[in-house]
Amino acid sequence: MSAALLSTHGLKAFYGDFQALFGIDFEVAPGEVVALIGANGAGKSTFLKSVMGVIRVAPEMVLLDGQPTGGAASHHMVAKGVGIVPEGRRLFTGMSVEDNLRVAIDHSAGGNDTWSLGRVYELFPILEEKRRDLVQSLSGGQQQMVSIGRALLNQPRVLLCDEISLGLAPKVINEIYAAIPSISAAGTAIVLVEQDVGLAKKASDRLYCMLEGKVTLTGKSADISREDISAAYFGAGHAVA
Amino acid sequence: MTMSINIPGGLPRARVRSQTVSGIVAMIIGIGLLAALVAMPWWAGQGTIRSVVELCCYIAIAQMWNLLAGYGGLVSVGQQAFSGVAAYMMFALAQNMGVNPFVAVPLCLIAPAILAVPTYALLHRLDGPYFAIGTWVVAEVVRLLTTNFSYVNAGAGMSLRVMTQYSAHERAIGVTILCALMLLVTVGGTYWLLRSRYGLALTAMRDNPVSAASQGVNVSRLRFLLFVAGAVGTGLAGAIYFMAQLRITPDSAYGPQWATVAIFIVMIGGIGSIEGVLIGSFIYFFADRWFGEYGATYLVVLGVLTLLVALFARGGVWSLVNKLVDAPWFPTRRVLVSGGGQ
Amino acid sequence: MQWLDGFIQGILLGGLYAQYALGMALMFGVMRIVNISHGDLMILLALIGVSLSVSFGLGPFVLLLVLVPIAAAIGYVLQRGILNRVVSQDPLPSIIATFGLSIALQNAMQQIWSADTRSIPGGGIEQASWQIGTIFIGVLPVIVLIVATALTGGIDALLRFTKFGRALRASAADVEAAALTGVNPQAVYAWATALAVGILGFAAVFQGLRSTVAPSDGPAQLIYAFEAVIIGGMGSIWGAFLGSMVLGVSQAIGFRINPGFGILAGHLVFLAVLAFRPQGIFGRS
Repeated sequence: MSAALLSTHGLKAFYGDFQALFGIDFEVAPGEVVALIGANGAGKSTFLKSVMGVIRVAPEMVLLDGQPTGGAASHHMVAKGVGIVPEGRRLFTGMSVEDNLRVAIDHSAGGNDTWSLGRVYELFPILEEKRRDLVQSLSGGQQQMVSIGRALLNQPRVLLCDEISLGLAPKVINEIYAAIPSISAAGTAIVLVEQDVGLAKKASDRLYCMLEGKVTLTGKSADISREDISAAYFGAGHAVA
Repeated sequence: MTMSINIPGGLPRARVRSQTVSGIVAMIIGIGLLAALVAMPWWAGQGTIRSVVELCCYIAIAQMWNLLAGYGGLVSVGQQAFSGVAAYMMFALAQNMGVNPFVAVPLCLIAPAILAVPTYALLHRLDGPYFAIGTWVVAEVVRLLTTNFSYVNAGAGMSLRVMTQYSAHERAIGVTILCALMLLVTVGGTYWLLRSRYGLALTAMRDNPVSAASQGVNVSRLRFLLFVAGAVGTGLAGAIYFMAQLRITPDSAYGPQWATVAIFIVMIGGIGSIEGVLIGSFIYFFADRWFGEYGATYLVVLGVLTLLVALFARGGVWSLVNKLVDAPWFPTRRVLVSGGGQ
Repeated sequence: MQWLDGFIQGILLGGLYAQYALGMALMFGVMRIVNISHGDLMILLALIGVSLSVSFGLGPFVLLLVLVPIAAAIGYVLQRGILNRVVSQDPLPSIIATFGLSIALQNAMQQIWSADTRSIPGGGIEQASWQIGTIFIGVLPVIVLIVATALTGGIDALLRFTKFGRALRASAADVEAAALTGVNPQAVYAWATALAVGILGFAAVFQGLRSTVAPSDGPAQLIYAFEAVIIGGMGSIWGAFLGSMVLGVSQAIGFRINPGFGILAGHLVFLAVLAFRPQGIFGRS
């Protein structure tokens, strides 16, 4: 518990009157890769939005370095060292690849300079080639690389990745997931939100499985069986496919 | 008013209620008020009649603006193009061509209808806010054209001298009947439209145009029809207003005060509801009577109120009332009273 | 010769319009915020300028130094107090809020300064001109055009090459994603509106020097600025500049055809652009 970099405690979140999260307990330590899996609508994206201050939650529900930060504005979270690769990439259209990356450099968290334009280009060489192109002219996989690079240039200590494999070809997914070890090797904690269970299990140290706004399973990724995951993923009573 | 729906395939009968007690009371009061309006020449003085005619025109213009902005998502600040062009057409028909002025009122509506078509064709390419300012440009163009058009006496304006053939009493009868018809067409027509099969489409479009389109509502066609209907209704109000004034100039016909009044009424009263327009019209009417003498200061207050409503109370007075009691005057919802599990 | 003269005067007039349009291009074209009171703010600043120059005998240059910071402060407060609250996908609240503000400003100005037209004394510079053949070129209009060009170039460079410019473009493209990349969009927007209204401070001084201002003039300036932005092409700073030139030339040539046709000619060119090239002359389709 004391080693946790980012943690949530009894996190509840609402959309108006509709409750989407029912008391989530979660933590991630420096250099750790944690996967968050669950079906569509399980509350994974809502969880990330609550952590990032897009959805307002009570201060003590989210702790960063043990300090309450729930409800802080998104840009404050970034400044404190929490970066995010948002779902759907969300690049700044009308701007070049490099300008997209520069926005993150302009607003990077203090006290850390692990990542530079050069290192991002090393990680994803294609981006250096395309650095003057408008982002909307890039392929889906290349756009995802820009989005990851942008989040890295915020110099996060925790990187939240929201469905980075969504809509990409298997070959491209492998290329992107190949970057994960070198990111966490630098000491960055990574939270992978995924729908692809196999992918998440393979890439992570620990995983959390969510169902209907609750955590139904947690443990070391290597120790959890597919049967347990299926039960937690779909709820009790569902047969394993 | 309840109706039964028989669903083929032997499902239980569903009973749907689409009228309420408050709605029936409001309808009876409404019919009574219209009758009182038509009877005004026999019980009210000239001054009162003039005021009430003005109020009716405000209601009509605001209701048309509400139809566009509240349901169609078409925010216009240039509706004076249509009231002005209809009024000028009416003056030209009656004064220059010798058409009976009371007949000229319905005839002149061809002008706003025709103007609305190219206006929409040009401006619908502009999105939301740009559309609004675009309508203002069109109103300015029509004003400048009128100012340069000697057939309607250019910038000096026209007087409706042919009205002197009628006595004041006869004129009052004609104008009050026209007002009653105008309210029937604009307020009653909107109510009918909202209760018709287009009503659900309009409400869906008000709440979310994108999802309405995906549900099979032809949003662009419906918007075009709304825009033309709004132009004609606004034109009718303009023609009646200037018939009562007996005089028109380009600046009075195409002045931005028309947009100001319509926006104030709808926003204060409550956008997207007929009740809101009526409430807003009465508020404006009495505010104008009581505080109009303060001139510019009064308009500063009006502007600030509009600003505050936009910032803090988007639904206006009617939505505040709605939070307290559920008693619509113009019920447009359909409520399932029984069915399903029977 | 009168057509060449019309063209030149139109370009010079366009310099003034560019100063109205530049602020609008920033707010409207880049941030997608509509401000119906844009013209009224310019008139307000010009009237403040008139009072300052009359009360304290300030010359045009000193007046600029005083008025531009006042303008920027007004812009900052406007964005923080009003516009940040109404920015959303739905354009209605911002149209209505700024429409209400416009009505309130116009009438408040009428109360304070009366409905009269006024101008800012320029100490002779407003009459100075060069003669080239039969054509007179005013010194002041040339200064206005030079300032407009410099402002346009400056804003364009600011947007392209600075941290602030990138943050603004990023916020305009996707507010939430910008915030998730560490940008504080509300602060960026407040500074951008301060900049946009600050430019109106220049426009106000030059408008007051070149011609006259009255409390009810705002809507006309709003429309000219709007037309220039649309003619030039949304989102392009230099587009707004060139759109202003097109508008100025249209009005000046129209005026020489028939004095009653001048302003109308500008409107008609705007409508023609909408009909045949809705993305604007310099916009991408």
